[in-house]
Amino acid sequence: MTVGANVKSSYFSIKSAEASLEQLAIKSNNKETKKALYDAQNLLSQVKEDLKKQIQFLAREEPQYK
Amino acid sequence: MPDIPDWMNILLRSITLVFTLFLLTKLLGKKHISQLSIFDYINGFVLGGIGAILTVHQDVNFWYGLMAMLVWFIIPFTIDYIALKSKTVRDFVQGKSTVIIQDGKIMEDNLKKELFSTDDLLVHLREKDIFHVADVEFALLEPTGKFSVLPKTDSRPLTAKDLNLKLAPKKEPQTVIMDGKMLLEPLANLNLNPAWLETELAKLNVTIENVFLGQADSDGQLTVDLYDDMLSIPSPTEKPLLLATLKKVQADLELYALETENQHSKQLYQVNAAKIEQAIELVDPYLK
Repeated sequence: MTVGANVKSSYFSIKSAEASLEQLAIKSNNKETKKALYDAQNLLSQVKEDLKKQIQFLAREEPQYK
Repeated sequence: MPDIPDWMNILLRSITLVFTLFLLTKLLGKKHISQLSIFDYINGFVLGGIGAILTVHQDVNFWYGLMAMLVWFIIPFTIDYIALKSKTVRDFVQGKSTVIIQDGKIMEDNLKKELFSTDDLLVHLREKDIFHVADVEFALLEPTGKFSVLPKTDSRPLTAKDLNLKLAPKKEPQTVIMDGKMLLEPLANLNLNPAWLETELAKLNVTIENVFLGQADSDGQLTVDLYDDMLSIPSPTEKPLLLATLKKVQADLELYALETENQHSKQLYQVNAAKIEQAIELVDPYLK
């Protein structure tokens, strides 16, 4: 796998984890749990954005593997 | 009651008294037998005794007997009620607890006062899984005759607090399926609905008729026990899986940071790996 493909797979893992966290947060009945899960989800969405940009950057760097 | 046959008389008396006794004991409260004081005990016996005599002895006037029962009910009931309001009365009626061991030392005088032998003390401690008197910091003999023991700090079971562990608060689980039937009220207590339950059951690939008992926790995880014990059901994997995914991605990002020579990319990977680590720390207690 190329670097681009690796980062892409990480990006989708993050995306899935983010959704799972949100699902758990919605299901949870406890305020503290909800807050922790949403905070974590927030961090993950920041990471997701960064990785998205990185994927575009890598696609320009190694266009032959796009 | 001369015009009623004897058997009828006894039948009527029995039926009335069964309900009266049931009602009176119900009103006297929910105390467990082991929590009763000696007076409570005797009171119960007397109530039962009067009831028994009244049932079969036809020469005893029924209404007199009933009156006696009411007296034996009303006075203890009133005393209990007053004791509820006044600490002094309570101490007198229910008794106070006696200190048996203080600061790790046995109070011999108090033992004697309660007519407790050394063997009794050892038996009671053993019942609390304590075989060594030196492990006890403080022990009380409760008015009900029960023994309460506070072990020394180093002999106490380890708690999460001792280990500085952060644990997620867990609310009580609710039983949502019983004998193959959905219970709506507990479901509502968890803010869940029947549709959710059907989805979860479909995920486990079981029908509700086959579920003997199903419980859901406050995080909305369903665990079931089936009638058919030969069927195996998957245990909930959602949370451990999520935690594993997060850990993997975090490790991957660190790896990319090591691999790349582009300074900008390196920094981006490092920053984001740190963010995910932070996220893992946040949710770790809740995903266990």
